[in-house]
Amino acid sequence: MSKKTKRVFVPGCSLPSYNPEAVKKTLEYLQKKLPGTGAILKCCGKPTKALGQLDKFHERYDQFQAEVDKLGADEIIVACQSCFLTMTENSPNQKVISLWELLPKIGLPEESVGIGKNSDIVFAIHDSCPTRNRATIHEGIRWIINELGYKYEEPPHTRETTRCCGFGGMVVPANPDLALRVMKRRTSEMESDYVVAYCAACRESMVKGGKKAVHILDLIFGGPWNSKSEFPGVPGSPIKAWANRYKSKKNINKVLG
Amino acid sequence: MDKVTYPKKALDKMQEIVNDCMGDAPPYCEATCPMHTDVKGYVNLIADGKHKEAVNVIREKLFIPRVLGRICAHPCEEQCKREKEFRQPMSIAALKRFAADHYDDEKDWDLKIEPENGKTVAVIGAGPAGAQAALDLRRKGYKVTIYERLPVVGGMMRVGIPEYRLPRHIIDHEYSLLNKIGVEFKMGVEVGKDISFDEIKDKHDAVVIAVGAHKGVVIPIPGHDLDGVLDAVNFLREVSLTRKYDIGKKIAVIGGGNVAIDVARSARRVGAEEVHLVCLESKPEMPAHDWEIEEAEEEGVILHDGFGPEQIIGKDGKVAGFQIKKCTSVFDKDGKFNPQYDENIKETLEVDNVIFAVGQAVDNSFVPEGKLETVRGGRFKADPTTLQTKIEKVFIAGDASGRSVIAIEAMAEGRKAAISVDRYLKGQDMFADRQYEGTYETWLETELKEDVVDLPRIETSKVKPEERIKNFDEVDLGFTEEQAVKEASRCLACECKLCMKECEMLNDYCECPKELFESILKTGEIDPIIPYSCNMCSQCTLVCPKEFEMKDRFMDIRKQMIKANGGKSPIKGHKAIEMHQALGFSKLFNTAKPAKYGYNEADVKEKGRS
Repeated sequence: MSKKTKRVFVPGCSLPSYNPEAVKKTLEYLQKKLPGTGAILKCCGKPTKALGQLDKFHERYDQFQAEVDKLGADEIIVACQSCFLTMTENSPNQKVISLWELLPKIGLPEESVGIGKNSDIVFAIHDSCPTRNRATIHEGIRWIINELGYKYEEPPHTRETTRCCGFGGMVVPANPDLALRVMKRRTSEMESDYVVAYCAACRESMVKGGKKAVHILDLIFGGPWNSKSEFPGVPGSPIKAWANRYKSKKNINKVLG
Repeated sequence: MDKVTYPKKALDKMQEIVNDCMGDAPPYCEATCPMHTDVKGYVNLIADGKHKEAVNVIREKLFIPRVLGRICAHPCEEQCKREKEFRQPMSIAALKRFAADHYDDEKDWDLKIEPENGKTVAVIGAGPAGAQAALDLRRKGYKVTIYERLPVVGGMMRVGIPEYRLPRHIIDHEYSLLNKIGVEFKMGVEVGKDISFDEIKDKHDAVVIAVGAHKGVVIPIPGHDLDGVLDAVNFLREVSLTRKYDIGKKIAVIGGGNVAIDVARSARRVGAEEVHLVCLESKPEMPAHDWEIEEAEEEGVILHDGFGPEQIIGKDGKVAGFQIKKCTSVFDKDGKFNPQYDENIKETLEVDNVIFAVGQAVDNSFVPEGKLETVRGGRFKADPTTLQTKIEKVFIAGDASGRSVIAIEAMAEGRKAAISVDRYLKGQDMFADRQYEGTYETWLETELKEDVVDLPRIETSKVKPEERIKNFDEVDLGFTEEQAVKEASRCLACECKLCMKECEMLNDYCECPKELFESILKTGEIDPIIPYSCNMCSQCTLVCPKEFEMKDRFMDIRKQMIKANGGKSPIKGHKAIEMHQALGFSKLFNTAKPAKYGYNEADVKEKGRS
């Protein structure tokens, strides 16, 4: 058997800054189910692009692409919807696949299946807006939640009509009051007090909008979650986020070391 | 940051939005109203119980709201979305009447005028066209004199439209605004007789001819010159001024329009017991409004639709009968008026009078022959855009030009003439930016929302037919407050602005995308916080009927701002992002690991769930 790196798992930025354990467990699971999976922890450069710094973005993306090419991967597995779009657009030689499309194909870890079936809470699903047109991602998320056994609700704006969480476009540091209004508007249309998102930035926005919110990987690799559970909040400072990011790097190195 | 410049492609894309965004498109009713009354505005204020505010909105455009609330032919209602979708248009005129009848207070009338400019304008005719022209010109500081042949103001609204539809004190009350702001009236002065047209022309800096069409038309069929043959204009004028007319017990009216209905119903009130209404068209094709026909029939008017005149039968030089014949078609294949008859079907009505209500002409005899060009029906020829005649200082407004048919159109013509007079006397361009005067077609396109229900139009209550034919009291009693609020609440408030309902940030910075991008194209400038407040979520595009990609436009702007700002974002808070990105690409937080083979599966199980 060749020892090639067929694919790489790219957790992105927000997830590693939020939950290093989830990064680790996801990578371990992918390793097990899909031997030949490497990993890259690096930004895709989307924030640079969003600011309008096109030249800098291309310079940065090239750095990322060089890492992919060095590993020789044909496939990129992403856990972030911005990564999904950025890489789909800029890595024509790789097949970019969302983790949420992949999991229905490879299944969930055995011990996760049905974990939420006795939960007393209903999760409102918050779809990420960059992939509003990628129905297979929406399907995958719902498949995962069903498989876990949790109940869920669809907000009035969902799937392809989903509303922005308030984080997009680098608006938070530019116009924080506006961003908060967008966050609150999004959460105000959800009936349930609990939200599941599949982007760590979206999740944080849902919390700022007044909800108890988890990342879908929290459901897969944690729980069971119920009304008694303590839900993750928002990071107290950027230092905490960078510490998590560093932990994620260590975790990746450990898993693939 | 340096001055931001945009590549042509980016500018073109912004221009597309400016061209086609419907955010500023007026609703169908407002565009259709020749005076562009903010119908949606006042109707929704009534729905909210803010009746006084509704009157203020109406008065921004109309100085005779109580009059128009009664007699406006409301072309707006024909274009109402509820008419198009359900044949149940908003009862716009009746709502206007409700608000104005109960909440208009002359103490609040706007009496402001610009400083006197020393120039004088003569307006001939105190009908809706003349009065509007006079009002607008007076407000601009002109000294305006209205010359009116009749002893009363209002023109055809006064001596054409019957009193039971429009009580006269209402006209006088609303016209008193003109006196309050200093328009001078010369009542009972007939130009061409009491004062020559030339004298008026020479004494003033400009003249607006708004004499209306007060000459009756009689079709020269056999017997038309018999005693007892009348025309609608003279009949209605006489009835309006005296509430009397020496008329027979049995009469026939010929004509299928609203004027014919007015004649028939007025005849009932001055003593005619048997009124026949004869018209070429079949009932559904009659030009008169359905409800007018219905009200006439309620009052006992006998309709002979689909019949034309053959001859008036005389006895001793007086009318004794009216022979009519079946009309098989009114218009020919080319749409030209060319009635065809079945000569085998004829009827004779035994009547004492035949009244022609088949159109009006302009009495232009007061202008010395040849001084002004005239066209069909004696109407004065004027430039359609400016209403100016070949005598530069003379303008034509209202029915006298043949360009208006109803009061609100006449008012719009009066306003147009006033704009022209003002420009002429100031030496300004007479033709610039005049495309939105009078009725125009809006560029709005709206779809019914899914939750819209077909709610029926609420009708006003009316005096019982047997009571109302006894006198000239007003027939229509208008809305109660409860009815008005309920009716107003049916308004669909037509507008586009779908993106504005989706996007938080656009609402912070503009009324609609068109306004925003128009200002960028005009000034080349935009506060950086605006493009940097877009979440890039595409929610606007999703609902935009034109599918404009607003986020891409904001991205175009961001790119240029970065260029103009030495590669950095002009937003202070973005230093954090730039730091975040530098770290995100630093070795400290990066790793790239190849796949690991021979991985110990037991590890996964052991560490399993936590």
